[in-house]
Amino acid sequence: MATITVTFQLNGKTTALAVEPLTTLRTALREHLHLHATKAGCGQGGCGSCTVLVDGEPILSCLLPVALVEGQSVTTLEGIGGPGELHPLQAAFYDHFAAQCGYCTSGMILAAKALLDRNPTPSREEIMEALSGNLCRCTGYLPIIEAIEDAARQMEAVV
Amino acid sequence: MSVTDFFVPRSLDEALSLLAERGSDLLVMGGGTVMMRMVNDGLLFPRQAMSLRRAGLDGVRSANNRVEIGATTSIARLSQLDAVPLLAQAARLFGGPAIRHMATVGGNLFVPQPAGDMAVPLLALDAEVELASVKKRRRARLDAFLAGQSARADDELLTAIHVPVAAGRSAYLRMGRREANTPSIVAVAVRVLTAKDGTCTEARIALGAARLYAMRASQAEAALVGRRLDASSIDEAAQMAMGECDPFTDALASAWYRRKMVGVHVRRALEQVVN
Repeated sequence: MATITVTFQLNGKTTALAVEPLTTLRTALREHLHLHATKAGCGQGGCGSCTVLVDGEPILSCLLPVALVEGQSVTTLEGIGGPGELHPLQAAFYDHFAAQCGYCTSGMILAAKALLDRNPTPSREEIMEALSGNLCRCTGYLPIIEAIEDAARQMEAVV
Repeated sequence: MSVTDFFVPRSLDEALSLLAERGSDLLVMGGGTVMMRMVNDGLLFPRQAMSLRRAGLDGVRSANNRVEIGATTSIARLSQLDAVPLLAQAARLFGGPAIRHMATVGGNLFVPQPAGDMAVPLLALDAEVELASVKKRRRARLDAFLAGQSARADDELLTAIHVPVAAGRSAYLRMGRREANTPSIVAVAVRVLTAKDGTCTEARIALGAARLYAMRASQAEAALVGRRLDASSIDEAAQMAMGECDPFTDALASAWYRRKMVGVHVRRALEQVVN
């Protein structure tokens, strides 16, 4: 079995992995690094539940060979906040009942974070556009959109 | 069956050497959005693969009345390309935000309809493709490339797309089962040049998902030349486009419906150009 080594920044820490060539970033995160927030909903790039940030941009980790993040910075949901110190997006999703089964949530939050990082005061249309690669089967999307609008206001208020 | 090698060449020369060495056993990927999907779904079992993402083939340059677009330029980059508004418009409607960051315009030219959207505006813009091997470089008209008359040889890579600076007014429309992140039921790009008196001197009507490869509706184009664009000439062009396309049935739409949608969207695109 051939292996390659990949070194990258993961949630702020230098991480090195030895994996088979063509292993996807999603498989590396979930099965090699045991970070399960990133979900495996399809494998086709259609659902968005595998969305992570690579150098700040939203990327579908199910379609990305992990070798291509060599030298780059990867952010998963585990990297933006956690128990005791929630990111404003996580807090807003909680407050607005924006998660039911929770499967889309990681991808939705990271897609929203990518948006707010470059556009801190998005319109509702811009939020919807930023989420257009993420499917939700439970909430009907509106609580998610409202949570993001609220988080954007909170984040602007702090600045 | 496992993958023995995944190459990420750092230059075009390195990529071409690898391709010359390994030939068609080597799976070539641009953004990988189509290939990796097929690997994930168990439709492809590559032993060796190569990503062109770091080979320096991305980037846009303007020179001599043309815009040269590197083959691995992302769709996201194109969506910001003010120099070619028709292309930017099409790029903004492509896939979803993450797909746009990953997918490359060159790679998309190899994607069969109905998911090969980027060929449609490029056809309307009279684009040419540049192909390179270790032995030589050549250019081909995009319509000949797509129709298979000037297809990529096993030892070639598509390196760039050359787009003449476009005259005239243009519009792009696409229709899918959803607003975003879905292949096309139909895609239409039109570009029209008119003389001072309003008569059409040149027309381009390009269609996606209306045939196995993206095509120009050349009879519909000819029907507009020498006439003013009004309800009657637009309707005639839409009817001709419906007649000359050769749509297929798939999980998204039937051939019958696609043909009707070609008519509707050619009409709407031409009306947009007039107004």
